[in-house]
Amino acid sequence: MGKKLRHILTLSVFVAALGGFFILNRAVRTPDTLEAERRQPAAFPRLTAQTLLSGDFMRGFEDFAADSFAFRDGFRSIRAFTVLEVFRQSDKSGLYRDALVGAGKLAPVAESEVRRTAGKLATLAAALGEMNVYVSVIPDKSAYAGREYPGFDIEMSRRILEEALPDARYIDITAALDAGSYYKTDLHWDQSTLEAAVTALGDEMGFLDSASDGASMFERHTAGEFYGVYKGQLALPMPPDTMIYLTSAITENAVTRYLDDKTLEWTAGEIYDLEAFAGRDPYDIFLRGAQALITMENPEAETARELYLFRDSFSSSLAPLLLPHYAKITLIDLRYVDFRVLPSLIELSPNADALFLYSSQILGAPDILKIG
Amino acid sequence: MLFSSIEFLYYFLPIVIALYFIVPARGKNLVLLVMSLVFYGWGEPRFLLLMAVQVLSGWVFGLLIEKYRGTAASRAMLIAALAVGLGGLGYFKYADFFVSNVNGLFGAAIPLPRVALPIGISFYTFQILSYDIDLYRGKTELQRSLLNFAAYVTLFPQLIAGPIVRYADVARELSGREHSVKKFAEGARRFVVGLGKKVLIANVLGELADVCRTSTEKSVLLAWLYIIAYAFHIYFDFSGYSDMAVGLGKIFGFEFLENFDYPYISKSITEFWRRWHKSLSSWFRDYVYIPLGGNRVKPTRHVFNILVVWFLTGFWHGAGWNFIAWGGYFAALLLIEKFVLGKVLERLPAFASHIYLAVLVLFGWALFDAPSIPEALRRIGMMFGSGASSLYGASSLYYLRSYAIPLALAIVGSTPLITRLARALEKRAERIITVLEPLAVAALLVVITAYLVDGSFNPFIYFRF
Repeated sequence: MGKKLRHILTLSVFVAALGGFFILNRAVRTPDTLEAERRQPAAFPRLTAQTLLSGDFMRGFEDFAADSFAFRDGFRSIRAFTVLEVFRQSDKSGLYRDALVGAGKLAPVAESEVRRTAGKLATLAAALGEMNVYVSVIPDKSAYAGREYPGFDIEMSRRILEEALPDARYIDITAALDAGSYYKTDLHWDQSTLEAAVTALGDEMGFLDSASDGASMFERHTAGEFYGVYKGQLALPMPPDTMIYLTSAITENAVTRYLDDKTLEWTAGEIYDLEAFAGRDPYDIFLRGAQALITMENPEAETARELYLFRDSFSSSLAPLLLPHYAKITLIDLRYVDFRVLPSLIELSPNADALFLYSSQILGAPDILKIG
Repeated sequence: MLFSSIEFLYYFLPIVIALYFIVPARGKNLVLLVMSLVFYGWGEPRFLLLMAVQVLSGWVFGLLIEKYRGTAASRAMLIAALAVGLGGLGYFKYADFFVSNVNGLFGAAIPLPRVALPIGISFYTFQILSYDIDLYRGKTELQRSLLNFAAYVTLFPQLIAGPIVRYADVARELSGREHSVKKFAEGARRFVVGLGKKVLIANVLGELADVCRTSTEKSVLLAWLYIIAYAFHIYFDFSGYSDMAVGLGKIFGFEFLENFDYPYISKSITEFWRRWHKSLSSWFRDYVYIPLGGNRVKPTRHVFNILVVWFLTGFWHGAGWNFIAWGGYFAALLLIEKFVLGKVLERLPAFASHIYLAVLVLFGWALFDAPSIPEALRRIGMMFGSGASSLYGASSLYYLRSYAIPLALAIVGSTPLITRLARALEKRAERIITVLEPLAVAALLVVITAYLVDGSFNPFIYFRF
């Protein structure tokens, strides 16, 4: 009887699981957006003779089947729990949860890729002529984690950048940051912790004297609690981060313009886009997120200095803190605009400062930068 | 379509099971054939025609072999069947290899045909050939039904990753087979265990092997970590697929022969190959080695026979010199054991024999996995410090810690320990097992589904076979 019952139970479990999810997957409505993963689910693919023969239908269906699976987020959490708590692995497909820095992503960067990026930046520096060129690297948060993760070797990148850019000044900001400088659920740094980084940059770039009271002139505001990109990818419970942004009379009165990279028209806007906080990526409140070109002018500036900030998303939150020290800052994201077309979009002042400020992810992905 | 996929587990399989058990007995092979074609066509729609041609030719030649039995024409039909089967395999699997070697050898510039390799062609070609050869030898009976023959060749449980099921082993079941709650439950349990081996161990250690393979760290520890992870990855992947095939076979009333028998507990290479991919080893034994004379010939001819079989075994696994070298490597080891080390190995303490086996098998996997022989030698050299910049580094220590539990599970899982424990528990505590087994099946399914839904590392390693 025991064996027979066992067989009946095993068969029932198997059939119920397969049949149950076959029905559930049809019955449970797929959400319009996979909120945790910040993307839209794959749609049911078009079924035609051509898509069948080419295999496009099958590939599309595989994505659809995974994205529309009932209780998808719950299953993703079960996997994360199994990997990190049961198997005690240090990361789940590269995503880790650290006591000091929270959720992070392994970011191993090949030396050869850094060399290629450095070569591109050297081309860029040469094209900037007489400008005062500075270069700095934003360390990945894993550099401050409670344990050692295989990742980015910042000393290696420094050596390569100094070799490739002999006329540029390398600015080390690693000591100006710590585990608390980054959001726990996101890859970015927290604007409210960047005073030391601004000082480190100012010391080398010589701009600290031009503003009387530096970062302390800023007023803190709380946009609210939020989850960064790593929370959704990790799929485990975590306390939310708090988004703080800093304003001052200078940021309030600044004239900020954004280039629409489709129409090539400039439009005026605010430095902080508070509506973006409720959007897919709350970090977009800083200078509207991904933008090819932005100019920020400081009408109250006591200097005529200009800065060209060649940057990635980290600089969106840093740039407002640099504004008191410059008359104009132009933020250039070479992932979205080719350097060769820049002269047709902006006029480059020959004696300005130029800061190449990139995170380790960008240094490890040279192909992403459109420089020549 | 992969067994380890959402579309197979929660779309294809429920439909097949429902259709299969709804239709009367006479329609079951038709359901299996149609759904097997859907299964194969899902990944390789353009190669359905090739498979149909191979199936049809195998069946027609079978009819002709039988028709002309006892005459020279029967032999001619067998040769024609071999030519069509092996010709197809040779063209689709080896054309590029041959052309590139001719170009390299003679300095020619013949353009590569760039033939895409149809998945599973090595498996189903060998199955068709087993039918025609056994029929010619009088070891099996003619299959007059094209439907039954096509259902046998295309049977989705073993179509793309084996085991190589010989026609003679399932001939009776093709005509009529028993279905029961017991067989279904045993099949379901075996399938889920196999899927667990693939998704929870093989894929996880495959990811580790992948990370180590591409790491910039050049350390001895990383080299060992890579090859050990790869060895367990390929074992759990391949044996997991075989478990799934055997399990699915049982659900549909078939009894496939076992393909793996804990090969890593072997004490010699000879024993290893009695336990690893048994369906392939026995195929070459029965259709190549024994027809060549086996061991009942002069020693030199015996050596030749072994070399031929292992050349073919290596070449069957992939069209590359590293696979041929891999076959040659094992041929050499088997010959050494047969003629030199046999007695010595028997006298060795068990732990020494296990270490001997483990090290030699790991070298073999380095040859198997490398894109070229020099790269394989570089990887093996790194295991002993050649080309390494340190004994260990930050990456190797990190990954060793990170994968300690999956590696420990793999070590335990590659021994019969868990099976023995389950059997002991079954004898002594039947009531517990009655509850535990369905619970374990349910829990495994939940965790496996979680891994599949989350899109974790899920390679298909048989694309070169």
